[in-house]
Amino acid sequence: MDQYPDENEEFELQYQDELEMLDDLPSDQQHVEYGPTTSKQAAAQRAAQEQKLQLQQVDKGGRAPLLDQSQLSNSTLHSPQLSQITFGHSQAEPEGNGAPVNRRLFGTPKGPPQRGCSTPFQRMLPIKEVVQEVAMETEPLLNAAATQLQEVGLRKSSKRRLERDLFGDIDDLYPDESYEDPMAKKARTEEQRDNEAIERILELRRKMRETSKTVRQDEVTRLKALHEFKMRNLSYEIPTWPFLAVQRSDLERLYVRFHSEDYETRQLELLSARGFRHGSMCGSLLGEAKQQVWQEANELVLQRMAPATQLPVAAAPAAASGAETEGLWVDKYKPRKYIDLLSDEMTNRSLLYWLKMWDKVVFGKEFHSKQEQTDAAGGGGGGGGGAGNQQLNSFNKRTGKFESNGGWRQRKPRQALNTNVDELGRPMQKVALLCGPPGLGKTTLAHTIARHAGYNVREINASDDRTPEAFKLALENGTQMSSVLNVDRRPNCIILDEIDGAPRQSIEYLVKFVNDGIYSKAKAKGAKAVHNVLKRPIICICNDIYDPALRALRQMAFVVRFPPLDSARLAERLLKIARRERLQTDFGSLIALADKSGNDVRSCISSMQFFSAQQQSLSLQDVLNNNLGQKDRSQGLFDIWGAIFRIQRPKKQLQQRNKTEEEEAQVTMTDMSVATRVRNVLDVVHSGGDYERLTQGVYENYLQQKMPDPNFNGVCEAMQWFCFSDALQNQISRQQNYTVYPYLQYGFVVWHLLFATLAWPKIAFPTRGFEFNQKSTNQRNIFQAFRKSITTAAQGIGQGSVLLMDTVPLVRRIISPQLRSVAVQLLSQKEQYDLRHTIQVMVDLGLTFVQVKSVEGHYVFQTEPDLDALSAFPGFPGITLPYFSRQLIAREVDLERIRRAAPKSNDFDPIAPTTTSSQPATKKTSPHLPNHLRTLKPKQISATNAPKQQLTKDFFGRVQHKSTASSKIEEAKTDAIVKSPIWYRYKEGFNNAVRKDVHLHELL
Amino acid sequence: MALWVDKYRPRELTKLDYHKEQAEDLRNLCKQTDFPHLMFYGPSGSGKKTRIMCLLREMYGAGVERLRNENMSFTTTSGRKIEVMTVSSNYHLELNPSDAGIYDRTVVIDLIKQVAQTQQIDITGQREFKVIVISEGDELTKDAQHALRRTMEKYVATCRIILSVNSTSRIIPAIRSRCLGVRISAPTEAEITTILQNTCKREGLSLPNELAKRVALKSERNLRRALLMLEASKVQQYPFTAQQEIPQLDWQSFLHETANQILSEQTPAKLEKIRERLYELLAQGVPPNLIFRGLVQQLVCNCDMSLKANTLKFAALYEHRMQNGAKHIFHLEAFVAQFMNIYKQFVSELIMTDDF
Repeated sequence: MDQYPDENEEFELQYQDELEMLDDLPSDQQHVEYGPTTSKQAAAQRAAQEQKLQLQQVDKGGRAPLLDQSQLSNSTLHSPQLSQITFGHSQAEPEGNGAPVNRRLFGTPKGPPQRGCSTPFQRMLPIKEVVQEVAMETEPLLNAAATQLQEVGLRKSSKRRLERDLFGDIDDLYPDESYEDPMAKKARTEEQRDNEAIERILELRRKMRETSKTVRQDEVTRLKALHEFKMRNLSYEIPTWPFLAVQRSDLERLYVRFHSEDYETRQLELLSARGFRHGSMCGSLLGEAKQQVWQEANELVLQRMAPATQLPVAAAPAAASGAETEGLWVDKYKPRKYIDLLSDEMTNRSLLYWLKMWDKVVFGKEFHSKQEQTDAAGGGGGGGGGAGNQQLNSFNKRTGKFESNGGWRQRKPRQALNTNVDELGRPMQKVALLCGPPGLGKTTLAHTIARHAGYNVREINASDDRTPEAFKLALENGTQMSSVLNVDRRPNCIILDEIDGAPRQSIEYLVKFVNDGIYSKAKAKGAKAVHNVLKRPIICICNDIYDPALRALRQMAFVVRFPPLDSARLAERLLKIARRERLQTDFGSLIALADKSGNDVRSCISSMQFFSAQQQSLSLQDVLNNNLGQKDRSQGLFDIWGAIFRIQRPKKQLQQRNKTEEEEAQVTMTDMSVATRVRNVLDVVHSGGDYERLTQGVYENYLQQKMPDPNFNGVCEAMQWFCFSDALQNQISRQQNYTVYPYLQYGFVVWHLLFATLAWPKIAFPTRGFEFNQKSTNQRNIFQAFRKSITTAAQGIGQGSVLLMDTVPLVRRIISPQLRSVAVQLLSQKEQYDLRHTIQVMVDLGLTFVQVKSVEGHYVFQTEPDLDALSAFPGFPGITLPYFSRQLIAREVDLERIRRAAPKSNDFDPIAPTTTSSQPATKKTSPHLPNHLRTLKPKQISATNAPKQQLTKDFFGRVQHKSTASSKIEEAKTDAIVKSPIWYRYKEGFNNAVRKDVHLHELL
Repeated sequence: MALWVDKYRPRELTKLDYHKEQAEDLRNLCKQTDFPHLMFYGPSGSGKKTRIMCLLREMYGAGVERLRNENMSFTTTSGRKIEVMTVSSNYHLELNPSDAGIYDRTVVIDLIKQVAQTQQIDITGQREFKVIVISEGDELTKDAQHALRRTMEKYVATCRIILSVNSTSRIIPAIRSRCLGVRISAPTEAEITTILQNTCKREGLSLPNELAKRVALKSERNLRRALLMLEASKVQQYPFTAQQEIPQLDWQSFLHETANQILSEQTPAKLEKIRERLYELLAQGVPPNLIFRGLVQQLVCNCDMSLKANTLKFAALYEHRMQNGAKHIFHLEAFVAQFMNIYKQFVSELIMTDDF
């Protein structure tokens, strides 16, 4: 008895790695594994039965190393004698029962399909059987189905088959479970045809496979149990323990062990205790503890039996689902460890890698670059964090473990992660930005990874106050402080959830903060501003990465895009959940559910919970027939147009008929009746929304569709609807009368019914309407400019549309006379007249020609405002004058303009101002003064007059006018200059020494 | 004053070329000290504006011809800035509220009211009221017209309003009843021919009577168009010949071509080409009702009576619907499709009856 723990310990030592791995498995998976655990328990039970009597036989050291055993059993299995063991007929009944039971117990899930032994169904039943048998020590109370199965197996089996039944476990000896005896396979195929019972097995198994996937066996446990069982219960020689002799068909005798009832009960209690504690309390099974454990075991056995009889398929034990059943499944099955994460592995790893790059700053631990890490992958675990505290060590240990079983680094370069670090050892991208559609587990990933990397998560989400002030406070507190009260003194990692909803200022602040642009002011001592350096990682989460508010953040952040989940992967996880929750379902329907929800994990789990609350099963029909879990996904414009112009091909679909009839689920074609089509189109159009653009798209594409409509009846009908929807749109936009809005959508139905075909439609994006708008705006602007330029001299040319329609096209002709390209003087009289006329008209209308560079690169003269473009129709080339004519006209127009702008009075005489020379020119600015005097004057005023007047104030402030001699001289000078039309004056530094008055009219 | 339309425009009521009795009536109206609000209506190119200017000159003297351009800007209630170009003298103010588009109500309230409220300080002015000339009055929105009616009544002492409209149908009855309507019918072709001859005489040109008649016919009794056409033909080719080419309006030619294309082929592909052409016309600013009219006129030429009636029926239907909508292209295309439909039916019936 006391050797047993030893053996167990040895076993643990040997398989420590595997056990550790098991511990690392997700919690739900552990629960899933309870099936195997049960078998393990059963096996251990058997082993324990033997133990007592075998004590003297097996060596006293009690080591019984498993490895030896396995070798031993291997050799026995291969020995010819053993292979000849066969069962007797009636006398061998108990053993005959026992052996297949065990075989099934340990049968591999990968067994050939026609073999009943490998299906979960048949595996599970015997478990119960064993338990019963062992517990009661009576004739096995066999479940009807199980009996049948066994009988089938026994009755029809050939000799080889019996061997297989007895030693079917050999598969299990190969840990990879891939072994399969080709001979056996052949034998099986022979059996297949004649056995109606087997057909029934198949039937049962098929149902089984639908409802639950096979549970992975715990190989180690199986292995161990097998050896023990074989070694203790069977013998080729006459054993020392009570036995029953059995003769096989090849006359080889086999001795099968007998046990007393007492022994069995003791073994049972021992096992029930051990089975649940994994041998951790093996030594203390005497006295009070034993009683207690016994009770516990009984309870457990009963507990397990109860659901098993009710619900044979859901074999997963209910042990786990005690208190937890109340909460939402979404929370309940939330991933808690890194390994549990469902999102894309590359995404997870790249984010984790980024977070690990912070280690240097946050933990003071040297971060290994990619290369170094690869080198140090194996032993880098505990070594790095010697200086750190306990927390750090454990953290390091975990990462070390993670790194060692990874092997992922060689796969692909990760997305856009800059692996360089700045001078402080921080990663170059100091913020990670997770983006992706909802329900993919972004928040979960961020939390899990942050915890995994040893951070304390501080989340700020949309429900928090996110004004810039609050944001600032949260950021500063989060990055610069750490919780004092908390025992768990981990550094903070800030997670900004739903950041796309945050106010722009907050995001701007974040960007500045991250770029180390924030200086906190030290208020009291007048000290210099302290530079706040970001020393904690920040993870932002958003749905729409192209939100304009996020632009600045996007450029500097490490952007992690969430790829959509693999629906198979999601369905697998859902299946696990379903099994734990004992929800009857199958893989196919879960995949359908995942597809339907757009691989939204959250919505899938919620839907499952809903179904489980309603009923205990989730079938494909349920998924297909329900609107649950379906997201209101917005479709692209092209999809909508596609739906309008295309008749959906009938699709295969599962339709639920009356369940009472034998054809419960039937594949039918979706009916493409008009009603369905109408409903489809309405749905699609609804989801699209933007009716105006949709209408425009239909309008610009409907004529390209193939339509059997020679008489234009359909087109007319369609156009009526276009007019109708236009009127409605107008009503809505002009008068905000939204009561007519619902009628807008029915046009699409009509267009669909008229133009939809089965062929894939060619749809172009509607650009014509936009181009038209652009062009008409452009034209309008030109026209407005033209109107503004018209002078009051031309009032008879009309206004508004008349001007545009009548005048402009004709005026274009009027101002385009045919001129030969010769000098103006050489033009004929008619040409001269035309030229003059043109110039007059153009000046009246405020037109001119300007030189512009055309797209081809040469210069052309273009009317300004551009009348040429104003009334130009394709196919009607406007009258374009040659370059020379336009140049000539342009020059003449400019001259005419100046001429008109010049003062009308021609009595202006340059000499005239001299007549008023008696007045001192310096004192009064006469408008008739020539230019030169005006420019000279200001200096003289400041030089002579101003100081003098100040000086000559009398006591009462009265100004005394004194004419000085100097002013007289100046006057005389000015007079002399003014008198001659040309004058000279030397002025240093000026180049306007010689001047002459030239009037415009002399130049024109 | 280089264009003949401006150069030879009559400046006084006595010098008008046609509707002389009406001119006499207008003179008599001015001789009294007061006159009511006026509404000149008639097709474009018939001389409404000419008569208005003559009337103003009759009232205020030559001072009204000293015109100046002014740009006035307003801010609408929605904060949008709009600019309205006005032409004014000391005695009158002329504006085109359609500049402001749908915001013309603002113009009416702000500008017209402001002018109307202002008393004439200048005693030397002949009248104690100012005149506001609203050209293209039928383009006023209903809102603006309603805003105008109270102004017209309230400030009748200081201000007279002269409306120049093409059709009274788009003027609300309230305004119609406040105004004295003066109908200016388009000049007859003979009158136009005479005017063209006179003009050429004053220009010192010789115009064959044949050509004058052709121009008059082509101008569709639009005097402005006739004069501009003549001037353009002169630029194209001077000494005039009787059979010389008269310049066309591009958009009209384009429209005719479009109508011919509709008649030539009735297929969806053709309809799409027609749509392009319609888009082109609309983009060039051709008013959709003009397009309707041009199309119908050209289309019915090739139809027999029943088809004509049908065509007109549908044209009226879609033109009316167009007034309720905003996207003119839909309605134009609807009409074209409808015409193609009935035309095709008609042709196929014709073929069938021919066969039997």
